Amino acid sequence: MSKIKYFLKQSWLLIICSFCFGLLIAVVNAACLDRIEKNKIEKLNSLMSGLMPKAEQFEKAESFTIKTTQGKEFESNIYKAIGSGGVVDGWAFNCQGPGFQDKIELVVSVDKVFARFNGFAILASNETPGFGDRIKNSFYRNQYIGAPAGELQLVKTGNTETIDSKIVAISGATVSSKSVLNIINSNVRQIKAKMIDKGLLSNGK
Amino acid sequence: MANELELSGNQYKDTFLAGLWRENPVFRLLLGMCPTLAVTTALKPALTMGYSVIFVLLCSNIVVSLMRNLLKPHLRILMFTLTIATFVTIVDIFLKAFQPEMSAMLGPYVPLIIVNCIIICRAEVCASKNGLGVSIIDALGMGIGFTLALSVLGAIREIFSTGKIFEIQIMPDWFVPCAAMAMPAGAFITLGMLLGLVNLISKRKS
Repeated sequence: MSKIKYFLKQSWLLIICSFCFGLLIAVVNAACLDRIEKNKIEKLNSLMSGLMPKAEQFEKAESFTIKTTQGKEFESNIYKAIGSGGVVDGWAFNCQGPGFQDKIELVVSVDKVFARFNGFAILASNETPGFGDRIKNSFYRNQYIGAPAGELQLVKTGNTETIDSKIVAISGATVSSKSVLNIINSNVRQIKAKMIDKGLLSNGK
Repeated sequence: MANELELSGNQYKDTFLAGLWRENPVFRLLLGMCPTLAVTTALKPALTMGYSVIFVLLCSNIVVSLMRNLLKPHLRILMFTLTIATFVTIVDIFLKAFQPEMSAMLGPYVPLIIVNCIIICRAEVCASKNGLGVSIIDALGMGIGFTLALSVLGAIREIFSTGKIFEIQIMPDWFVPCAAMAMPAGAFITLGMLLGLVNLISKRKS
């Protein structure tokens, strides 16, 4: 009993402050959440337009629960890119997975038959400035444009101009390069399977 | 009574001015070097980091000053960190909501304000030993001093790396932008030169 009294005597301020500060953060977060979500949607739309410039509008087609490489679940929204004449031009979806420091969130775009990538863009990343954050650079990102939408491989050396399933890692940021590649491989595989199940995509047979 | 008021007025003025020049956190105390070097590629991110630090410094100094008589000596650093982390999280949420571009640009450097030495230093040196008035003035002086230092660095680097400031062209047509000024090397060179200049001015003054 005396131990509990001693503990409370020493830490009552810490307990009260933790509760009050937690409440304050919760209130601020609740007040700003809608706006943050709205900003994210606007950013997503602008990134998707960048990946598929020919698309006239994006229509949310489906939402799937996807597992990251760490086994955590998240909601991936599948957007249908509609080009001129109402024809489906391709697909875009949000992906995520573990990075070097924090989770990396991406927008990945593929063509209408899931044969080739249109590219990817970064939605959110806290990779090391100057090293891991070079996953945003065109040197790395351009290698995905036109690459086959199957299992990609990371190689340390190679020609970055050649568009195939081999992606050349960023020197000094191998972990971040591999993280992006693993996120794309894992998410695309799951999303493709779920889209075939739902009848959004032909299984190619 | 009049003398007391005059004395406290002078004390406030002295405390405020200390942060601007005599004890400027960047140029004199060399504190907060991480954001100083990392976010000063341009004036806008430098200003955003500056006012974020002013907000956190002001709020944490107020809270620490109010609870200074209740603090247990061995728990004080924990209490400071808890207080600072709360206000940094609030700033982070506000930036994500109202300045998403700046939030993305500053990236991990906003959460890193938690470990900014200036804030914990002012909580320990000033707010935990002084009343509310002095703590507020100290936070404003130090925060504005930090913002000014970052702004000077950001402006110099932006002008030399792009020839523009706030997207407005200010350098003549013959000016060739120096990309290195936007890189880490440019940050170190500019900071080094400014520190030398500040030392020179201080020596001449004394």
